[in-house]
Amino acid sequence: MGPVQVLVVGFEQPTFSGEVLAEFARLQEAGIVRLVDLLLISRAEDGTFETLNAPTGLEASIGGELAAELLGRSEGEDGDDDDPDATDGTAWSLADAIPTGSAAAVALIEHTWAGPLTAAIRRAGGSALEETWLAPGDLDRLEVLVAQRQS
Amino acid sequence: MLLVPRELRRSGMTGNVPYYGGRFTPAQAYAASHPTHRPPASATPAGVATSRGAMPEPTRPVADALAALQHLQETGVITPQEYDELRTRVTP
Repeated sequence: MGPVQVLVVGFEQPTFSGEVLAEFARLQEAGIVRLVDLLLISRAEDGTFETLNAPTGLEASIGGELAAELLGRSEGEDGDDDDPDATDGTAWSLADAIPTGSAAAVALIEHTWAGPLTAAIRRAGGSALEETWLAPGDLDRLEVLVAQRQS
Repeated sequence: MLLVPRELRRSGMTGNVPYYGGRFTPAQAYAASHPTHRPPASATPAGVATSRGAMPEPTRPVADALAALQHLQETGVITPQEYDELRTRVTP
């Protein structure tokens, strides 16, 4: 399985539009990414989370159950299977990402294109030191630099 | 369904890339390449001015590296063969 990204997107109305789902379908057909699961969730003002019904137009296997089991547990269930190593400052949870009184779509996205690349990095003994995305301003600068180099 | 968020480990796309055959995490690799040096026993007390000629001896990089390698071997991070190979790199 390739690297899986957890994308948490806030919405006024907790739904993924048909346009977003169509784009996922296109990317999956192209072998770029695969939508593993999609969980719609709301967070009340008191901080509690509640799962919502899956949006229409999705495959039957994408109903949010898998993401719910991975990212949370039912109320009353013990947390014995929490990652014991997730206490070294690298831990996160949905509670960190989703504000109270809001709703979000949580997508598990497998980057199928990245599987061979990460395997190659691993074989080369590469060590991940930093990984981030360029901010919009830096992206603009990069576009200018690329254009200058091509002209 | 009410859901209680679970604590998960944060990771990047390249993941917790192993180092030295999967026995080193990036944090361990960084720590191994940036060993903390103990202050020399004869260090000048704080607040006492010294001239350049009277500065304490610099740290002992070779001795420290060998000590670090020894520790890594003893803790099972590297094999005796890897220890021998790495030792030849740090000794003059």
